[in-house]
Amino acid sequence: MNFRKLLRRNETVLIFAIIVFSLVIGSKSPEFFTIANLFDILRSSFVQLIFALGVLIVIISGGIDVSFPIVGIFAGYTAVVIMRKFELNEESVLVPIALAILIGIILGGLNAIAIAGFEIPTLIATLGTAGIFRGFMLSFIGASFISDIPLGLDKFSTADLIKFESEAGTLVRLHVLVIPVALITLAVSLLLNRTIFGRSVYALGGGVESTRRLGISVKRTQAKIYMLVGGLSGLAGILYVSLQRKANPYDLAGSELDVIAAVVLGGASIMGGYGTVFGTVLGVLFINMIKNNLVLLGVSSSWQRAAVGVLLIIGITIQAIGENQKQKRQRSATSKEAE
Amino acid sequence: MNERLQRFSTAGLLADRKVTQLMGFTTFTLIFFTVFSFNIFFTPENFRSMAYQVPEIAILSIAVMLSMLTGGIDLSIVGISNAAALVAAYIMTQKMTEGGDISTMWIIAACLAGILIGLICGAINSVLIAILNVTPILATLATMTLFNGIAIGITNGVSVSDLPKQFMRVGNGTFLGIPTPFVLMLVIAIFVGYLINRTSLGLKVLLIGTNRKAAQYSVMGDRKVIAWTYIISGLLSSLAGLIIASRTSAASPDFGNSYILLAIVVVVLGGINPMGGFGTVTGVVLATIVLQMVSSGFNALRFSQFFYLLAQGGVLVLVMILNTVFEKRRINRSINKSLDS
Repeated sequence: MNFRKLLRRNETVLIFAIIVFSLVIGSKSPEFFTIANLFDILRSSFVQLIFALGVLIVIISGGIDVSFPIVGIFAGYTAVVIMRKFELNEESVLVPIALAILIGIILGGLNAIAIAGFEIPTLIATLGTAGIFRGFMLSFIGASFISDIPLGLDKFSTADLIKFESEAGTLVRLHVLVIPVALITLAVSLLLNRTIFGRSVYALGGGVESTRRLGISVKRTQAKIYMLVGGLSGLAGILYVSLQRKANPYDLAGSELDVIAAVVLGGASIMGGYGTVFGTVLGVLFINMIKNNLVLLGVSSSWQRAAVGVLLIIGITIQAIGENQKQKRQRSATSKEAE
Repeated sequence: MNERLQRFSTAGLLADRKVTQLMGFTTFTLIFFTVFSFNIFFTPENFRSMAYQVPEIAILSIAVMLSMLTGGIDLSIVGISNAAALVAAYIMTQKMTEGGDISTMWIIAACLAGILIGLICGAINSVLIAILNVTPILATLATMTLFNGIAIGITNGVSVSDLPKQFMRVGNGTFLGIPTPFVLMLVIAIFVGYLINRTSLGLKVLLIGTNRKAAQYSVMGDRKVIAWTYIISGLLSSLAGLIIASRTSAASPDFGNSYILLAIVVVVLGGINPMGGFGTVTGVVLATIVLQMVSSGFNALRFSQFFYLLAQGGVLVLVMILNTVFEKRRINRSINKSLDS
């Protein structure tokens, strides 16, 4: 890859943006350049990153999923409810996580039936299922806030990998989740780049008809995608519950935009066919960095949402301009050939 | 005579299969809830309250419908309507005297400012979608966050309430015995219906939704047409916002978040093809009435609001599934027919 191409890559731009932004905030308040702040940004990124990886897969395949936060909280909340109802092993962390992933996969399967089975446009299908899941959870599973979550999950929220007292006297903690999240990120990256399934996801985003002619089953690929996303969302949901140390069924709804924004900022093309795990990781970190540190810049926290909106618009505009230029170049190239 | 009757029926509402189906569906819902909850559902009070609630959703849905006819979607409707309502409400509360008096001129000016906000927001969507070629879902997702974010930032998330009495009269009053918002909705519906069916802009909108490439090759200025649809959508959203503000006497940045799902459910139920190219305003208005009856009926039967959410999603998915199944069957039948002949 030559240097100019490298410069044009979305990831490079994002890294630059992160550096510039860090310098600006850092120059205004030295608090920014502390390990505590770095760990805080990481901690607030875990759940979002797992959601984002799922969304990345969907977006690469040319679809869009807006039901994932609901799937996440549904799985997390229901897992806690089941744990309490059947008095399963209180101490265990793996049982609720496995339960939540299972519930996520089932809900993802329902999405898959609507999308792959009945060919409903993905946005409409997931908007519909999001309503169904949320309505079902709040009507039949429970609508009340659970503050005493199973002991294992509760303890897990303070399971720190590194823990020390900084010079300023505040406790600096790095959660143990950083390892599994890194492993999952790596796994998704390998899945997308090194397996037939991953290549068919990219192919699907490139064009449905051409994928079919390649001999790849579109329906089966789509079904796998939405079930995988369901599983990832379920995992993210239960981790969210654990980190918050409470199961609130009203949480997460409405957070889909931030995640989609992070994935799109990370360079994934909403038309499908393009997107990288590395870009997504950077996108999530960037958005969380900005959301966590706007206050340090003297911007009140009520402007957070507007800031995300502005970032998103800048991101998609840059992407769209690049896309338009590419098309123009292609068009002029073909017309030159014709001459 | 028979021929004339047939012409009448093909030219009229019955020509549209989807609208006929919806009329059947409306009657069914009406009878269903009347049977199950006669005392609460089938009362003048209930119908009056429905007539006050239908217009806002109907107008927002018509806004979504316009963008969906071109094959796009507008998710920023609620963001726009709240922003417009907030600006209007802010101007009114600023110009109101201690006793709550305000001149009619200022109310009109405030409403115009709200509408202007709607047009500006619509224009921002247009720039992103028509000029920069951003996918509509993404562009309006971003502007929805932006408009909502600006509204939260300016107001600090607090709602503006206690709007002037004269302004509230619009949203809560009657015109010739019919609730004013309902009359406004009918005017808007007729206007948009005229726009789609009788003007060249409407024809172009439908053409673009049917086949964007073909529309491009016929040099009709497809970008300009798309730009107009999002501007009109912004205008309609701001009108809905003003009606909501005047009915509830308040404007808030996070009012009606659930209306986005609802509006899309209404539009799809109303027979608009999400891929673009087909749809009627009558269908949208009827679908709003059906869903409002379901909502009121559920209330009368004491179901929770979450159950209504479940029903909304269920209806959306079910209608889409039925659409694809019927569409497939129709295509198969026409293939068989042409093979036979």
